[in-house]
Amino acid sequence: MHVTDITGNRKQRLVVGSLRELAQTSAMFAELQKCPRSVLVCEKSNFTNEKSRHDKHVSQHYFNYKVSVLIPDCGVLPQCLRDAVSGFTSFYLVNEVPVFELLQEEFVENTVKKGGFYALSYKTRIDQDNVIALLPTGQLIMSVNKDTYEQLGLEGKASQYSHKQPVRYVVTINLTDKSMALGSKKYNRVLWALKENVPLKMDFLMGCQRDGKIGAWMLPSCLSHCPWKELQPSVETQILQDLPCPVLQSDNLRGGSSCDPQAFLEWLGAVSMGISCDNEATSFESTYACPEPQTFVNQAVLCTVTGLLLPEDVHSLLEELRRYFDHPKFTSWLSLVVHGFADSPVSWGTAEHGFHKGGENFYSFVVFKNQDYWLNMGAGANDGCPP
Amino acid sequence: MAAFADLNVANTNDKKKLQSVIETAAHLGYSTVAINHVVEVQPKKQEIGKPSCVSELFDNFPVVQGKSKPIKVLNRLTLVLSDPSHFRQTADFKFFDIVAIYPKTEKLFHAACMSFDVDIICVAATEKQPFHFKRPPVFGAIERGVFFEISYAAAIKDSTMRRYTISNAINLMEICKGKNVIVSSGAEKPLELRGPYDIANLGLLFGLSEGDAKAAVSTNCRAVLLHGETRKTALGIIHTMKKSQPKEKQEDKEAPASKKAKLDAI
Repeated sequence: MHVTDITGNRKQRLVVGSLRELAQTSAMFAELQKCPRSVLVCEKSNFTNEKSRHDKHVSQHYFNYKVSVLIPDCGVLPQCLRDAVSGFTSFYLVNEVPVFELLQEEFVENTVKKGGFYALSYKTRIDQDNVIALLPTGQLIMSVNKDTYEQLGLEGKASQYSHKQPVRYVVTINLTDKSMALGSKKYNRVLWALKENVPLKMDFLMGCQRDGKIGAWMLPSCLSHCPWKELQPSVETQILQDLPCPVLQSDNLRGGSSCDPQAFLEWLGAVSMGISCDNEATSFESTYACPEPQTFVNQAVLCTVTGLLLPEDVHSLLEELRRYFDHPKFTSWLSLVVHGFADSPVSWGTAEHGFHKGGENFYSFVVFKNQDYWLNMGAGANDGCPP
Repeated sequence: MAAFADLNVANTNDKKKLQSVIETAAHLGYSTVAINHVVEVQPKKQEIGKPSCVSELFDNFPVVQGKSKPIKVLNRLTLVLSDPSHFRQTADFKFFDIVAIYPKTEKLFHAACMSFDVDIICVAATEKQPFHFKRPPVFGAIERGVFFEISYAAAIKDSTMRRYTISNAINLMEICKGKNVIVSSGAEKPLELRGPYDIANLGLLFGLSEGDAKAAVSTNCRAVLLHGETRKTALGIIHTMKKSQPKEKQEDKEAPASKKAKLDAI
């Protein structure tokens, strides 16, 4: 058989043991070269542009686990940012909640219908266990195993990320809908399913956004018999010294004379993890080097907040970060990265989220001096494309 | 996907060693572990022996990392045989949750795939497979719901055995196309265990696809456990437990609809 190489010249005949074997091994190595897919969507716009949808993106990403802010050329976190960061709403960890309690009339009327209430089951893995989330829109999302689904008896859809046969089902119930009014057929069926068929009991992280005038939210009486703790989001601030920083130009998303978003996000991840970007010959851990073109900054502030972080708080932090550039600063950009829970059943809005080998669903704002911004949204293998 | 399981943890008489292996498995994220009792069946000696009770191992089972439930420990029996006539289903089988067979000859492999009442057929990891896999027995096993198991502990210990494990696994995948395969450790020490996501990546080396490799550590292991439960119950229809509702079994394809209706009345 004749083989042509890249220059188009014909080479000598190759004696191959079995053509079928060759095809099989090359097919197998082709499989090995593939990685689980990940999606990164990069947008650029300006905050003052009336069509800018940054509000919507922030408010639609319901379950946020970690927020990290990096400000180059800054030695001390400014007071207003420190206040914004420590002002994140506290959340509750409630253990052993019987899930049917979430349907109680008092809870639905006083808490869910007023909006701004978030609940996510704690210590449950989205690819192994039953996960339950309550969205601020009043929707109760239950991502359950095949066994639980068949016993529960409620209507749901097979997960989009099933392999050959569905082993995971998603049941969505709108608690604020008219069909779920107290005493209706659907309400009774759901209550029966959760109380008698499969009495699910889970630990929940609960958070509620309330305006200052109404006062802080208290745990409703139907849940107060469960062991609960009030927790504050934990804040950690680091000052990084002598950091190589990539050069960014707000209007250049493609790269070339400045860094493109993908390379920038890699660098940002390395900095957040404390991985050195020097590409030293003696380092066994990493040969990563800061992308060119780069500058050196003496100091940078890296501030990280972890907990059940509500989108409204993230929004106020973003507004404060925009105001950072009201006074002249050395740096021309700063970045905010928000990570979603890896085990949440939804990523943006009600889009289903799964965990294949990684459950990343994050977004990052790079805020520039002139109020331009880059918005990068990343999702993993078992995730739809971010909006 | 289902919870992760490692269905092959070597049994030792050293209780502390076994405890540390199970604690490591819980820490790595496995929700279920099966202690493997390997028996070389002699033609004259028939008794296999009862396994030690699982609840004697721990007062409080270690909690699986990232979850609030403790790890589940089961008993498994592996029979190492060369002659199909030596396989006799004794009363001892009911003490074990899973029964596996390690065929040494082609005749036994064919018999095990087509007719024996086992859950798992082990693929050799420490030596070159003495016989080739043929399509009819492999497909017969797949249809009956019997799974093929590949153990990776030998591959960790020695480079020659690594080659045997991978080549035997690839030979199997060429025939079965990734169906009905589970990957388990066969670990004797805690250091020989690896995390479930790492094993899903190892499955790619064996020729499994992304989805199949993850299923080999989760969904397929769950199917093996259910298959093992059907042996204790009558075809998986009648199952005595404290609750009054019986669970539906995945392997229960033979039950006609009329039998299910009678069950509701019970």
